[in-house]
Amino acid sequence: MKLQRFTRQLQNITLTMGLTVSGFAMAQAPAAPPASAIPPTWAQGRTPDQVALNLVPHPPGMTALPVSDIPTDKLKVPAGFKVELWASGMPNARSMVQSPSGTLFVGTRFPGNVYAVVEKDGKREVKTIAKGLHRPNGIVFKDGALYVAELSRIIRYDNIEANLDNPPAPVVVFDALPKDEAHGWKFMKLSPDGNYLYFQIGTPANITVQPVTHAVIVRLNLKTNILETVAQGVRNSVGMDFHPVTKELWFTNNGRDWVNDDLPNDTLHRITAKRMNFGYPFCHQGDLLDLEFGKGRSCDEFDKPVFKIGPHVAALGMRFYTGKQFPAEYTHNIFIAEHGSWNRTKKSGFDVVRVTLDAKGNVTKKEVFVSGWIQGDDFWGRPADVHIMKDGSMLVSDDVAGAIFRISHSK
Amino acid sequence: MAFFLILLSNDLAWAAPDAIAGQEKAKVCATCHGEKGVSSITGTPHLAAQPPLSIFYQLLQFRDQRRKGGGMEAIAATLSEQDMRDIAAHYASQPAPAAHTGGDAEKIARGQQIAQQQYCASCHGAQLQGQKHVPRLSGQSSDYFVTQLRNLRSGARADMDGTMASAARSLTDEEIEAMAVYARSLP
Repeated sequence: MKLQRFTRQLQNITLTMGLTVSGFAMAQAPAAPPASAIPPTWAQGRTPDQVALNLVPHPPGMTALPVSDIPTDKLKVPAGFKVELWASGMPNARSMVQSPSGTLFVGTRFPGNVYAVVEKDGKREVKTIAKGLHRPNGIVFKDGALYVAELSRIIRYDNIEANLDNPPAPVVVFDALPKDEAHGWKFMKLSPDGNYLYFQIGTPANITVQPVTHAVIVRLNLKTNILETVAQGVRNSVGMDFHPVTKELWFTNNGRDWVNDDLPNDTLHRITAKRMNFGYPFCHQGDLLDLEFGKGRSCDEFDKPVFKIGPHVAALGMRFYTGKQFPAEYTHNIFIAEHGSWNRTKKSGFDVVRVTLDAKGNVTKKEVFVSGWIQGDDFWGRPADVHIMKDGSMLVSDDVAGAIFRISHSK
Repeated sequence: MAFFLILLSNDLAWAAPDAIAGQEKAKVCATCHGEKGVSSITGTPHLAAQPPLSIFYQLLQFRDQRRKGGGMEAIAATLSEQDMRDIAAHYASQPAPAAHTGGDAEKIARGQQIAQQQYCASCHGAQLQGQKHVPRLSGQSSDYFVTQLRNLRSGARADMDGTMASAARSLTDEEIEAMAVYARSLP
């Protein structure tokens, strides 16, 4: 009972802090360096038998594969669908957003580039419109401007489409975000009413009791520049979308490392109320108390995810299918790019999955929709985001191949 | 016509990294890093036996000016990605730098202890020999080692994903020096 009250107090503190810019700026104060014996952020939460493992991460996508080295024919889609290489030559191509006139903007995590893909005289052309940004993973297009979420600030390029070859200096929209590298890159989404930028502030380590400013989904009011907390206890979301009918926010969340190969799951979430708390770091996937931080807690204190996507699959970009090209049963399904596991004994993910919902929004089925990035135990690419085109086809970005694939359906 | 074909092959596919071609292309590097990747200049890293992806990724970082130092930005800007891969293949195929012998045993033990606390081996390998894009530390110049860890700690050197900044931020100068002495003592 006491604990519940404590949680409630924490929530209140967060809400208060989240309401003002100055409150949020408190997160900028440099954290005291931990004592040497504290392991680095990525290693926290490992059990003694996991410490000896060789855990070198996958090399991040730093270059783009040349066209002839991209094995598009290895990608498998259901009968009736076709997959083709749509654009290439974009190192670390990740988050995608499209302007009403058709320009596709692409954010990155490692090279600091932002790309624009334009169609000109029937030919598709890739332009690098920004370089040297700090983890420009989040992108939104609104009123002719491209908003980019870097690690600790939001910037804006006005009238961008008229200036793709010579973009203007960006305007700083908001720069009081935490500077932690761990889970600091953002996924950003414009609200359906166009008034808010939604994005996440991930937890600053694998597993830790985070400051109240972290492990949250927030939204920035574009009129007042006030940042608000939308949901708490979210370890790190790198994909979100608004339901096309209910306008509720749905998002993917990456579960913690190091419990075991099959736990915990990455999860799919739905915001149905204010002040929801999904349990991190105390409870994972709605029903798994943390081995360390879950002591004395109960998962009943927290809101539940709507679906367990799979263990360590790295569920990133997600979109509702809003097109008309795919068969009718695909309407309002969710597509999720599973970037793929980094430390699981047998690799998981490395595909795009399709999740179907019933009328109430309960998940009824998950199935693999695009696969083939993994061959044997090795992978040649990793899907990072999905995007539904106006013609109803779907794009999938690949941040290792530095390419974008298009999936279409013909009757 | 031949010229056109060469352009085409460069543009559309990577040739496999070529250590022989790399030796020729690495002449510009040899002045400081040594023909066989063992540098005799204080503070300049040994490149011999580095994982090829590690050299390639650092050259990319220098080219894009996300890493700076030693005039490497200007040199990397003159290299194609194929050049970088060939040079990386050349140095990767060279015999590893000799382990530094006769160091202060107490300092080596201290360095080993810190390295274990920081889980260096999880990514750099059990003998700190490097793997994938993660550099070899064994046998490395201790001056270079100390400078890089300090720069990672201060943020003067940005690392690829924050992992090294996180590892370095709690280290004292004494701990960094002990680890450098430990690393150079490894074969």
